[in-house]
Amino acid sequence: MSENISRRDFLKLATVGAATTAVLTGCGPASRYIKREPYMQMPEYTYNGLSTYYATTCRECAAGCGLIVRTMQGRAIKVEGNPNNPVNLGKTCARGQATLHGLYNPDRITGPLQRTTRGEAATEGLEWDAALQVVGDALNNNNPDEVAFLMGMAPDHLFDLVSDLAASIGAPAPLRYGVLSMFEARATLVKAAEDLFGQATLPFFDIGNADLVLSFSANFLETWLSPIAYTRGFSKMRRGNPKRRGHFIQFESRMSQTAAKSDEWIPIKPGTEGLVALAIGRLVAEAKGGTVPSSFENVNLEDIASLADVSMETLEHIAQLVAEAESPIMIPGGSALGLNNGLQTAETILTLNAIVDNFGKAGGVFFSPLSPNEDEIHRPASSQEMIELIEKMKGGGVKVLFVHGLNPLFELPKALGFEDALASVPQVISFATFPDETALQADYVFPDHHPLESWGYQRVATGAEQSVLSGAQPVVSPNYDTRATADVLLAAGQLAGGAVAQALPFQDEIEFMQSKFASLVSQVDGSFSAPEINTFSAYFQQHGGWWKKSAELAAPSASDALGKSIVVEQAQFAGEGEFFFHPFMSPTLGEAGANKPWLQELPDPTTTVMWNTWVEMNPETAHELHIENDDVIKIISEAGEVEAPVYLYPAIRPDTIAMPFGQGHTAYGRYAAGRGVNPINLLGSHFNEAGDLAFAGMKVRIEKIEGKKQLLSRLESRIGVYNEGLEEH
Amino acid sequence: MSIDLNLVGAKGAIAQEAEGKWGMVIDQDVCTGCQACVAACAMENNLSFVGEEDAGYGRTQHWIRIERFWEGAYPEVKSTPFQPMLCQQCGSAPCEPVCPVFASVHSQSQDINLQVYNRCVGTRYCANNCPYQVRQFNYRDYHLDPIHANEVDGQLVYPFHNQFNPDVTVRRRGVMEKCTFCIQRIHKAEDTAKSQGREVVDGEMVPACAQACPSNAITFGRLDDPESLVSQMAHDERGFKHLEELNTMPRITYLKEG
Repeated sequence: MSENISRRDFLKLATVGAATTAVLTGCGPASRYIKREPYMQMPEYTYNGLSTYYATTCRECAAGCGLIVRTMQGRAIKVEGNPNNPVNLGKTCARGQATLHGLYNPDRITGPLQRTTRGEAATEGLEWDAALQVVGDALNNNNPDEVAFLMGMAPDHLFDLVSDLAASIGAPAPLRYGVLSMFEARATLVKAAEDLFGQATLPFFDIGNADLVLSFSANFLETWLSPIAYTRGFSKMRRGNPKRRGHFIQFESRMSQTAAKSDEWIPIKPGTEGLVALAIGRLVAEAKGGTVPSSFENVNLEDIASLADVSMETLEHIAQLVAEAESPIMIPGGSALGLNNGLQTAETILTLNAIVDNFGKAGGVFFSPLSPNEDEIHRPASSQEMIELIEKMKGGGVKVLFVHGLNPLFELPKALGFEDALASVPQVISFATFPDETALQADYVFPDHHPLESWGYQRVATGAEQSVLSGAQPVVSPNYDTRATADVLLAAGQLAGGAVAQALPFQDEIEFMQSKFASLVSQVDGSFSAPEINTFSAYFQQHGGWWKKSAELAAPSASDALGKSIVVEQAQFAGEGEFFFHPFMSPTLGEAGANKPWLQELPDPTTTVMWNTWVEMNPETAHELHIENDDVIKIISEAGEVEAPVYLYPAIRPDTIAMPFGQGHTAYGRYAAGRGVNPINLLGSHFNEAGDLAFAGMKVRIEKIEGKKQLLSRLESRIGVYNEGLEEH
Repeated sequence: MSIDLNLVGAKGAIAQEAEGKWGMVIDQDVCTGCQACVAACAMENNLSFVGEEDAGYGRTQHWIRIERFWEGAYPEVKSTPFQPMLCQQCGSAPCEPVCPVFASVHSQSQDINLQVYNRCVGTRYCANNCPYQVRQFNYRDYHLDPIHANEVDGQLVYPFHNQFNPDVTVRRRGVMEKCTFCIQRIHKAEDTAKSQGREVVDGEMVPACAQACPSNAITFGRLDDPESLVSQMAHDERGFKHLEELNTMPRITYLKEG
């Protein structure tokens, strides 16, 4: 293998080389990065005025969409979708587009830092050699059981490396968590599949081929599971078949962006989703004329209709649509499952699919295929599993905590006690790219590269019909003195010696990645194959990953599901108060978008508010309480209180108020800090049977703060809305 | 076609050529309002973000925006289909005749509305006369605001400037701007086709908004080619044009829901 070959020559060779012949791969350490030079001194691989394109993976959420990034003279100019990646087929969402605002964010951490007093901005720099020593000592000098790794949602190469590292020293396996998985209640969905079908897996909902979609508050056009893939499915459902237009019904207490696209929005009472599914199940089974499954047989329809605040006619009308549809599908979404009866609700809705017998059929429910190099699903941790770690930290059982890829101080409700637990950990080492709240409380920050400067791969959990391993490579050379966390851990492991050094004898992360996809090299059913590993790696970079050629969707068994007995109880709500509290993930900001100014300036799709937090309230309710637009109110739950301005939202139940999650940072750079409030601190420590937080199960009361207004910046005009601005005319 | 649209009396001639050259079809039935097009446009065209206060004054630089309106009252309330609104590239554009310095002119070769930044003196007459409200004015030098900079060795360094698309002018304060149908991409595709001695193939170039759109709601192409996808979709029975009664001859056809 030559180390002198330039990157451009390598890419040329990789392009012209036939798939079965070895290509020179130029993968020596010296040529692994593209240099960023002044315009006066062009690197030899750039032509004036011509762009270079690199395939990589989007890391703004864990869906694993493929990207092609346009670069010019070593600078990333524009993000496009990778048309070949089966997850997104060339498309991107707004957050993917704004990745560059992370890469070129002025608030990035520019080098390794040491902090003497936690919480204070003041830090001292240190050299990477010293940093490696710190990490090596932390691995070496602590009882393995007292080392903890906390990581983001994405199942990537770093997670595999940390898993191997933890196993080699006998430390507990790393925990992956993300507030997005809480809002999706992902653990509940997986547990429901396990209970019903005996297989822990994420179901795949083929809405593209369905002609009727019943969504129980699944925000599949916003942030849910794999938003680009589901948006594509929605588009196909609506317009893919010229002979029919798919019908879409959404049950949700507040009209989300997804519900705004529905043909019928049914604002049922929060917590009755499972009961409504039971009622529809009975009506559908009766209309179809077969036997009514025992769990659905004795359902009292009138009771459910009155509990759910929906008319019998509506239930019958929907049941009739379902019974007559060729390929109906029912989807359980986050806020229906983030309740104490969430697991029952998920199982009922999945069973409803069994009643209409759509398992394994076009437009029905499937199992998501596993990624090429995994044997079983590794879902992110539930909130209950986080509690176990938090308790261990509180009890002094964790001496060193490594944090990468998430911001627990922002993403976990205060009531879960992470802040106190963190104070009990003697050494906290963060690998954050940005100065977020958790990095501010860390003793050391050893910044990772931005994802667009990083190598890696990511397993795709769901969204594609085939098995996908998405590939990442640097599209620009690192802007600052950052270092890949995988490389830091490998080098520190060598310093620590012993079992770690033996288990991870890799020169750098690329060797490690190669060891993890070595088994795919000569597989013939994939997007490409190669005679040896370096050629395979080259194609892996060039194509942006490796995936199977054909769909591999397994079907659940309907009889398994129908045989289970399900009991759905009414949901319990925590706290005193007249309002149901409905927090939701901001569709534009997501969990970590607040530091990207163009995401801040994207109007929220339903309210058009930019740059801030609002509380959605029904105008009738507000009128009774003498509350107007932009009046600041205090929202009080059993766990805490926050203040935010009101947005009069015509499409929300009068007994519900809603707030977006995404703002309310106290750190995280100049665009995020001190802006808006974080509604997660209103959530109490309540869980469902699958261990997910009952985030939708809170009741709150409100207090108007007399005379306090905060004008929200909106894209829509205020003039004439609720008679505003018309007083003088 | 070769009608000088800046000449008096050109209107009648355009009427026969009402189809135009480049055009777009937006299917509101599948648009999910996700804002991907808005972000993609900003990243492609060096659009500035303006901050919370100026955004509240309506000074955002959105060349494309998503509109939604409410119909009815709870519980019968309905959100109207999301409606991406951008420069309609009118065949008979109200912004053009009011510009005293010919900064807002009609391109004869591409048959779209141009904004010539270095002619613009910022009278804002064009924005006042645009019935679609899609022209944006640079009230400040947003991208040069020191709050986006870091001080390195006594100098202000703007990391975001690394991202500027070299194919698109960076606009200064006092200049009007608007959607260009990604003219830099049109030119690039035409140059490539010309160097290969052929015509631009349908679908060869798409603007940034259409390229990003996850639901494929935006279709772009040649309206003067009856075989192109966009021409065929423009004659869909669901199609309509905005404020057609003003005789602006928009080049964008919207497909209504249902």
